[in-house]
Amino acid sequence: MNFDFVLYLVINTLVVIAISPLFVSLIKKVKAGTQGRQGPSVFQTYFTLIKLLKKEVIYSPNSSRIMRVTPLVTMAAILVAALFVPLVFVPEPIGGIGNIILFLYLLALARFFMALAGLDAGSSFGGMGSSREMSISAIIEPTTIIVFAALAFVFKTLNIFDMFALTAATGSPATPTLILIGISLFIILIVETSRIPVDNPETHLELTMIHEGMILEQSGRNFALMELSAAVKMTVLMALLINLIVPLGLTTSLTFAGILIAVIVFMVKGSILAGIIGLFESSMAKKRFFQLPSLFAMAFFFSTLVIIIEVFS
Amino acid sequence: MIETAIVVAIIRILFVCIIITAAYIISTRNLLSVVSVYALQSLTLVCIALALYSLEGSIVLLAIAVVTFISKVIIIPYFIATIQEKIRIKRDIEFHYLNPTTSLLISMALMLVIYMALARIVQGTPARENLFFFGAVLGISLMLMGMMVTFSRKRAITKVLGFLSMENGVLLFGMFVTELPFIIEFLIIIDLIILVILTTILSVGIDSTLEDYHKRLHRFHLLEESEEVS
Repeated sequence: MNFDFVLYLVINTLVVIAISPLFVSLIKKVKAGTQGRQGPSVFQTYFTLIKLLKKEVIYSPNSSRIMRVTPLVTMAAILVAALFVPLVFVPEPIGGIGNIILFLYLLALARFFMALAGLDAGSSFGGMGSSREMSISAIIEPTTIIVFAALAFVFKTLNIFDMFALTAATGSPATPTLILIGISLFIILIVETSRIPVDNPETHLELTMIHEGMILEQSGRNFALMELSAAVKMTVLMALLINLIVPLGLTTSLTFAGILIAVIVFMVKGSILAGIIGLFESSMAKKRFFQLPSLFAMAFFFSTLVIIIEVFS
Repeated sequence: MIETAIVVAIIRILFVCIIITAAYIISTRNLLSVVSVYALQSLTLVCIALALYSLEGSIVLLAIAVVTFISKVIIIPYFIATIQEKIRIKRDIEFHYLNPTTSLLISMALMLVIYMALARIVQGTPARENLFFFGAVLGISLMLMGMMVTFSRKRAITKVLGFLSMENGVLLFGMFVTELPFIIEFLIIIDLIILVILTTILSVGIDSTLEDYHKRLHRFHLLEESEEVS
């Protein structure tokens, strides 16, 4: 393991933790704007997280060890997954890092523990949230795999680092089919981060909540970890989409100025994508639970089409 | 003249746009956006025709681009938008036989089948360019997807849009494979305009399903017998 790579690990983790709360509040701000409200400040998520970190943790008397380890496991799994997606700087991959399949299963691990914790506290809302989350993930999983398979077909590699190195070298999307994959990735981003057509991140209504239902029993710094891990997960998926479609600014050499520029460019691109997500959410109503497969079918359709095009032509 | 490689890349991107619009038309329930997406699809076709013109220099392609632009990007969407203002329905949520998800999946299978079938047909002939082959596949797929819209929707107005998008497929196929005589292309477009004008005239009943239409005419006293009955 060389020095560059160690530095990459530090930079990537710091950047992803520092930026992700900003994107969460940006989306909220855009949504507030479309509703004619002023909305919270763009730093509100940071304040909330800091406040939560200071508060004490309360466990339900029914809860077991799972409740205690879940925030740590979730955060750890998502942070490791974040290392698989270079945000600003693409080093040479070492070992299994950057493997698409491992990336997906790290996300699945986090989700699994979150669902367990939802059941663990013994509240009925948590159980409902977990059950819904698991049904949705069972439906979206094949689609996700197909989308990533399409990516692998396009780039002829299973490693995210190699894909990014390829796009960063050309500076533009490798093939037009990437636009199709981009749409699929956007849908996956929406589903994985529990956004509006799937789940409403703002409500605590028993009828609609999925993600909120599972973390309802969390409190204090555990809750802060859960919130932060959700934000990091969103940023990682956003970075995957952004750096594949618009690789502009992604650097492959390690210089201070290069990294600084890359961070700034990434923030700009991420803010634009956050704005798009906000507008997309505002223009849609939440879908009925049993209509969700039609959303996934769209992603499935596009990515299968990409595979057909790549295989036959 | 622009470089060939760039034009080919542009055409590929336009193909992707056509796929996206076709998938949108087949799966959306929002009527207001279907018309603008249809106009967008036609505009993409115009762009493809122009790109092909810069590649081949055939004047027919230029004529097709102009005629398509005037009729399908401006006139037809204008008429349909007028109908929509009158009938004030925004959503199309009734389907025959197939719901949007199933139609998407089926159209995927259709594309695969068409790809294989055409590959077999093309095999014997001298190797054609990849681009033209894919254009043909896309053309037929668009045609069949439009057909699927036509028979899976209940509202007459979406049926018409499905038919229009089917015709876009024919145009695409014609541009890439057989040189359709221009006069036929022109006649088809005149047919389309007349079709849309007819639907505008019949807009009293256009927001109903075809089964309801007769009743609707009775209600508005538009049929002779209705007055005798009442």
